[in-house]
Amino acid sequence: MNILKAKSVELPNGKTVTFKRSKAPWIILVLLICFYYSVQITGFDLQVLAKRIGQFWVIIGDMIPPNWKYLNKLWQPLFDTIKMSLLGSILGSIFALPLAYLASSNMIKNKPVVAAFKFILSLLRTLPTLVAALIATFVFGIGTMAGTVAIFIFTVAYVGKLLYEAIENADLKAFEAMHSMGHTTTSAFRCAIMPQILPNYLSNAIFCFEGNVRYAAILGYVGAGGIGLMLNESLGWRNYANVGMILLLLVVTVYIIESISEYFRKKLM
Amino acid sequence: MIKFQNVNKKYDNGYEALKDINLTIEQGEYVAVIGLSGAGKSTLIRCINRMHDISSGSLLVNDVEVSTLKGKEIRKLRRGIGMIFQSFNLVNRISSLKNVLVSFVPDMPIWRKVLGLYTKKQKIEALEALDRMNILDKAFTRVDQLSGGQQQRVALARTLAQKPSIILADEPVASLDPITAKQVMTDFQRINEEMNMTIIINIHHVDLALEYATRVVGIRSGEIVYDGPASEVTEQILEHIYNGKLEEELSGN
Repeated sequence: MNILKAKSVELPNGKTVTFKRSKAPWIILVLLICFYYSVQITGFDLQVLAKRIGQFWVIIGDMIPPNWKYLNKLWQPLFDTIKMSLLGSILGSIFALPLAYLASSNMIKNKPVVAAFKFILSLLRTLPTLVAALIATFVFGIGTMAGTVAIFIFTVAYVGKLLYEAIENADLKAFEAMHSMGHTTTSAFRCAIMPQILPNYLSNAIFCFEGNVRYAAILGYVGAGGIGLMLNESLGWRNYANVGMILLLLVVTVYIIESISEYFRKKLM
Repeated sequence: MIKFQNVNKKYDNGYEALKDINLTIEQGEYVAVIGLSGAGKSTLIRCINRMHDISSGSLLVNDVEVSTLKGKEIRKLRRGIGMIFQSFNLVNRISSLKNVLVSFVPDMPIWRKVLGLYTKKQKIEALEALDRMNILDKAFTRVDQLSGGQQQRVALARTLAQKPSIILADEPVASLDPITAKQVMTDFQRINEEMNMTIIINIHHVDLALEYATRVVGIRSGEIVYDGPASEVTEQILEHIYNGKLEEELSGN
């Protein structure tokens, strides 16, 4: 299908070898055309960017120095945020395991069941966390409960998806041996597949928790509790010194959690 | 006793893997199944523990008709039959001991299965099985740290812990070097003699088959073309088992 003709060279002994032409120039051309039209459609304007960028630095300037006195009001919402993401991540990761098992085509031979559970997992994934949190606030009322549920749903979808991919890619040799010695499929999964996927599973759960801390920070925007509520409030009052304090606290917290998470994930590999 | 009577096996794609197999193997025999790749050796032994279904005929294992078993009965049949594979099929990330302990799992209560908790008695039995295969010192080593020969011994220990009356081995020495292959064949011989277990081995190495097995079954395109003592296998018989197909194809052309 390549438009350009393949190039061939002749070796000294008379044999010819043909090189395939690279498709890269065509791909780059297509990308450039896409880029041009996306600029046209979204109305991206370089002049506005140049004119208004100064405002960005003004706001950053207002944030420095941050309002240190505000800090003691922030501890409670910060811990709420961490609690929300921790609880949601743990429950979600546990719940993801049976769902992922049922969505793995190499474990469950019943095709409609596998398709149904894959569909459920992808349906959950299409639901943005913010929307899930918003719906949860209607069901459970304003507060951290709603945030926990939203994070739970996201974790089930995310960890569940990665987990069933890991199960489907797992080496089935030991699994076959389990069957040959009289294990049921679930018992063979427990003995032969679980040891293979466990490090990956834990690593994904920890990575998901790490991301969830960041998500949880903005969930307050829709009333799901935590530090996002304070952020929304301070931005509403244009109190950039307070915003600066919140952001600084978030950066430090996320950095600490990321470092801990990275340490444990390295240990697992 | 294993008894094949007029057994046929046709795969879903129409390929006839076994044609009218009649074969009786008594308890305690050491049988080597030889033949070209694709001749049906693997299919033959996998029918015995119902890893494959047969299409027609009758297959008795210890007086149980295998072809009509269902669910739980199949698992019960398999509990009494050990299986050894070419690539060992161990769980790589865990220790030898844990790999052996896995053979007790089907008979454990659910909560023990879920938590992976074994009794002291089971641990001692597993260690004994490892000791029997002379690999006790590697009990706590992860199996991916072991050599091929050592891994096959762990797999044998796993099978012994299951206390089967029959061991099926599908190319057990094909991925081992010649020296280790001999050792593993000797291990099979020891198990066969000491514990009176029936051993059925699929094997490509004819010299090993003739040296260790007491009986040889030759298969060519799904049919048994030789069945007799290993000591009576001659050059002509081997020619018949291996090159027969070649001759047919040559004459056909």
